[in-house]
Amino acid sequence: MARAFRATTRGYKADLETHERRLLSQLCADVITMLQQRGQDIAGEESPDDEFAHFRAELAGLGAGLDEEDDGGLQPPQDAVLARLLPDASADPEEAAQFRRLAESSLRESKIADLRAARLALESNTVALSEAQAPVFGRALNDVRLTLSARLGIETESDAEQVHSAAGQGSAATTEEFMGELYAFSTWLQETLFSAMLDVLPDDQ
Amino acid sequence: MSTTAGSTLTDEATDLATDLRTLPQRPYQVVVWNDPVNLMSYVSWVFRTYFGHSRKRAEHLMMQVHTDGRAIVASGAREEAERDVTAMHNYGLQATLEGAE
Repeated sequence: MARAFRATTRGYKADLETHERRLLSQLCADVITMLQQRGQDIAGEESPDDEFAHFRAELAGLGAGLDEEDDGGLQPPQDAVLARLLPDASADPEEAAQFRRLAESSLRESKIADLRAARLALESNTVALSEAQAPVFGRALNDVRLTLSARLGIETESDAEQVHSAAGQGSAATTEEFMGELYAFSTWLQETLFSAMLDVLPDDQ
Repeated sequence: MSTTAGSTLTDEATDLATDLRTLPQRPYQVVVWNDPVNLMSYVSWVFRTYFGHSRKRAEHLMMQVHTDGRAIVASGAREEAERDVTAMHNYGLQATLEGAE
């Protein structure tokens, strides 16, 4: 049985079973792969395998080239998981596309860095986090939960409750039920971590 | 905007100068939207540590997101608001930028 996160003198720690931390680590690796794939897809679209593309664009005329610069936004990912991990920054699709062009790549890189750090922390059964490592691990765990929730189609609070109550029975037979168990487990782990982190914040006005 | 009536700023010229200085600097708002995945403890922790909100203010905003579906968590100049929106996305919160009314 896993033991929840609690505050220690130098940060936080939890005790996980070997299979639990391996599953979490694998989920982090899956999210990293998806984010990297998105980066490659964008790079592929932008510089298609055409050595003469730039030359032809120049021949096509200055006016056309300027038009392209003008609507140089980046469209949101079609995959539900990626769309949830890399959301639009504006309700206006055009403004969101412009923002995405400038910000998405660094957002992907920070998420990948968080997930890699989380995988390192998951290399021993006692997961020990310093005050500085705790938010990083928390963000990675949250990205794992967002990924699972998008795969499970959790869109409302009652969807989430359903997944939680089904997971409690511990008799997962299908992939979806198994994902539900993982969602409930990572939710519990994150809740214990952030409750402990809130407890040590200085109480203010 | 708060009023300067009754304050020491009784000089009309000073009022105008204050308005010119503060109004154009706060035209953007950072909106956080409700979703069924992010935990209340997590959202509250992010609001307290990232924005430096008090516990009371952070919990009020978190409940506003939960019940109204959205809350304005910060406002400021465009660059600042863009940085905040990206930070919220990094924490996995659904956030958007909008022009203040």
